[in-house]
Amino acid sequence: MSLVSTSESVRADYFQRSARARQWSRFFAYLLFIILTIVALYPLIWVATNSFKTDLQLFEHSWSLPKEWHWENYARAWKFGIAKYILNSVIVTVIAVLINIAISMMAAFALARYQFRGRNLLLYFILGGLMLAPEVSLIPLFRILTTLKIYDTYLAMILPNVAFGLPFTTFLIRSYMLGLPRDYEEAAVIDGASPLGVFWHVIVPLCRPILASAMLLDAMRVWNEFMFALTFIVSDNLKTMPLGLMSFAGALREQWTVVMAGIIISAIPMIVLYLLTQKQFIRGLAAGGIKG
Amino acid sequence: MTISRLLSDRRLTPYLFLLPAILVMATFVYLPIIENFYYSLFRWSSIDPRFTFVGLNNYQRILNDPIIAVSLRNNVLYAVISVFFQVFIALVLAAILEGRVIRPRWGSFFRNMLFLPSVLAITVVGITWQLIYRPDTGLLNQFLEGVGLGFLKRTWLGDEGTAIYSVIAVSQWQWVGYVMILFIVAIQAIPEELYESARIDGANLVSQFIHITVPLVRETTLVMTTITVIGAFKVFDIVWVMTAGGPNHASEVLGNYLYRVAFRNDEMGYAAAIASLLFVITFLLTFVQLRLGRSGEEV
Amino acid sequence: MNRKFWALISLLLVAALLLAACGQQPSGGGSAATGPVTIRFFHKWPEPEHMEFYNFVIQEYEKTHPNVKIVMESVADEPYKDKIRVLMASGEVPDIYFSWAGEFSWKFARGGQALDLTDAVMNSDWKDKIILSAVEPYKWQGKIYGVPMRINAKFMVYNKAMFEQYGLQPPTTWDEFLAVCETLKQNGVTPIAFGDEFPWAASHYIGDFNAKLVDPAVRQADYLLTAPAEQLFTDPGYVEALSRFQLLMDKGYFNEGPNGISHSGARSSFIAGKAGMMYIELEEFVTVADGMGADAFGFFQFPSGTGGKGDQKLLTGAPDGFMVYSKTKHPQEAIDFLKFLTSPEMGKEYVKRLGIPSAAVGAVSTETALPIVVAGVESINTASGMALWLDTDINIKIVEVYLPGMQAVLNGTKTPQQVISEVQEAAKTVQQELKNQ
Repeated sequence: MSLVSTSESVRADYFQRSARARQWSRFFAYLLFIILTIVALYPLIWVATNSFKTDLQLFEHSWSLPKEWHWENYARAWKFGIAKYILNSVIVTVIAVLINIAISMMAAFALARYQFRGRNLLLYFILGGLMLAPEVSLIPLFRILTTLKIYDTYLAMILPNVAFGLPFTTFLIRSYMLGLPRDYEEAAVIDGASPLGVFWHVIVPLCRPILASAMLLDAMRVWNEFMFALTFIVSDNLKTMPLGLMSFAGALREQWTVVMAGIIISAIPMIVLYLLTQKQFIRGLAAGGIKG
Repeated sequence: MTISRLLSDRRLTPYLFLLPAILVMATFVYLPIIENFYYSLFRWSSIDPRFTFVGLNNYQRILNDPIIAVSLRNNVLYAVISVFFQVFIALVLAAILEGRVIRPRWGSFFRNMLFLPSVLAITVVGITWQLIYRPDTGLLNQFLEGVGLGFLKRTWLGDEGTAIYSVIAVSQWQWVGYVMILFIVAIQAIPEELYESARIDGANLVSQFIHITVPLVRETTLVMTTITVIGAFKVFDIVWVMTAGGPNHASEVLGNYLYRVAFRNDEMGYAAAIASLLFVITFLLTFVQLRLGRSGEEV
Repeated sequence: MNRKFWALISLLLVAALLLAACGQQPSGGGSAATGPVTIRFFHKWPEPEHMEFYNFVIQEYEKTHPNVKIVMESVADEPYKDKIRVLMASGEVPDIYFSWAGEFSWKFARGGQALDLTDAVMNSDWKDKIILSAVEPYKWQGKIYGVPMRINAKFMVYNKAMFEQYGLQPPTTWDEFLAVCETLKQNGVTPIAFGDEFPWAASHYIGDFNAKLVDPAVRQADYLLTAPAEQLFTDPGYVEALSRFQLLMDKGYFNEGPNGISHSGARSSFIAGKAGMMYIELEEFVTVADGMGADAFGFFQFPSGTGGKGDQKLLTGAPDGFMVYSKTKHPQEAIDFLKFLTSPEMGKEYVKRLGIPSAAVGAVSTETALPIVVAGVESINTASGMALWLDTDINIKIVEVYLPGMQAVLNGTKTPQQVISEVQEAAKTVQQELKNQ
């Protein structure tokens, strides 16, 4: 990926002018970023290396590499239910993200392409959710979910996650739509397409790039969501990974190396997803400019 | 068939497209906020769900509750430190990475690596750092000992003086790389000619940063500042996972205290009042941001 | 955007929907009598070994009761305190749920969430099969609301090799105890391993000090909030309790930074031979025995209260048991399963598998348990009574002031007197609130 476009001639010219100062600043810049990279990565690497030890070895030398590799820590962590938690996370994330994207698409379409009474009000109504702390809604939400009889089900995580993700995805998609040319839509309308037809056959295909980005960002948010899962889920069979990892650590108490193995297993899906889809991630960030 | 006629009425089309979003937002975001205010006027608990009307008593209690004061102080600390690292430092790092000193390929590598912590789940991060902060076997104290700084060793999460800072530090570790990428995106939007002409005028990197980069990413800076500050008041999960507000409420923040009061102290009504306080704070911050944003446009 | 991405997304969607469809539990328990009966059972032992035991019990029970299905959930000790409240608030209360004894269980009775089990226990052979003294703390206003599953008490364990090396004997008075600590410290050994990340650990110390330093009748009146408002928690014994606790910290008899270490973390370091003593529960003996060998450690009763006005023969500890939801749709089946779970047969199985004393009559013997565990149970039997866990024996709103205060005393940020003043204030407020209800 090349986000950076450089003009080689300028660069060459610049190099010549202050070559020595350049050498030094380059040295310090690299040094700084190498240190920062170590700070960013080493905690996980430390957990990873220790996850192969026995608890006693962890107590004795947590710096060193394991002498023999205790893969059984991973087997135990897996057997204890990490797999189940990850599966639940996949279910909740995929469904919540898709519902959210569908609703956001429609809302963004209306807000970006129609003139109607109350448009600004509704825009603020939806975007206002960006600023609200979910904690404020926690206790009433809890009672609403109970009344709807969906407490302690997947839906108890999916619906609040959709509601609190919707403002951002709507904002993201709407911004993108505002930048799209109207030619295709106008052509489709002349051909007699209904609003739904325009939406489905013109807008959705044009929005694919931003949809991918929005999905990834939203997936990351839902995947990592903690408070709703903590409050609205009791059954171990329904717990998502962030919560499951916590009960896992609680239940295993002092078996730290197994807990560490669980941490690593839990961290891998998102790391892999990110490394595979950096481009969509960064485009989404660039378009949204907002953090979760 | 009135329904199909309604559906075919073009004036209604945008509303129909918006309907699901409005319903979801109304049910799961706005209705709860209103209900919350109502609940805050009563005394009730999860175990004994009889509602006793107490008027504004719960709000009165907020004013006299020392733990609310500690929580607010911690939220403010969270905000100030986060703005420094996640806005200022992240901007400087972004400028260095985009400043031609580091080769693009390495720049992209560093960027990705620094971003990585932000994709991790809060429990992964929290438990990892709990292990790192452990006084005996933890990485941090061993490191300090190893480099001859043994006198700095602390019970990081167990000491009332260091607990909240230790938690805040983890947030910085997790989010600086994320914000840095946002700034990189903003810097890339700055026309290259501006830097070229500055260089021809003999401006060094620092003065390029102050005179070109900083003013031109002003909008991103403003947005990031607001979001970071509001985020600092919303914080719940990392505190809950790492210290649960302890020891002796030293690392309590509003979100955490609210949860504790509701589901540990059996005081749902009081928790609802704390939630209202949180709502008012975020609302005011948003309002301030909108005003600042507007004045920014005028300049 | 390439096709693969979208193919992946659709695949994920289909998979997720399928999984969600089969993963969804039959919620509630179905409509009344005709179908199979579902009993929801909720406890605080998600540890793999414990879960195996409960799964075994459920299997055994379902074998003989094909019409009953037991659905079990569990969360760990600390989160259980929130989760059970969340469940109460949701109205999705499990038919059978764990509760600590004392105030923790009484508040469920007060709130109308617990079924009166007096008749079921006293008018059947059940009363002969459980240790009745362990039922006492589950009584509220003379009625039985909970049935004990196991008994538990707190003891000081010590590293035998270390005691031998430094010529130490298990102490029987507070001064002897301090002397032991001092010797260990002089020899470069951490005298007491202590993890107070979650302050219930400190509350076990303070509970023990209180029981032995404060007159039992006075303490009772304070804990139950029956004393006159101005007298609540004014006995000097409460301050003395915190001062003795503070002394252990200030003298360096605890490891450094107990507030930053979990109880189990501290136990690991005791097992690893990094500390001379530790204040642990009888149920933990088996963990320690697994870690360092059953002969490597001994235990004694914590001589915390020498010179105090309390009862020196009290032990700190409590039974752990279960309550039945007052509005359960299937009280008969729930009670029947609970009876099965607490029966001597299952109790023996419990002791054998987990090494933890059951509250069923005759379950603990040298055949089923380690000698040191049997000795612990004997100590419980010869004790003059139990001082319940402080953190579950007094009102939660006082606990929320008291326990953080103990952490503050450890950190040196509050004096014992300050903490007790705050406790007095909290107690007055709560007493007033309870009167208003």
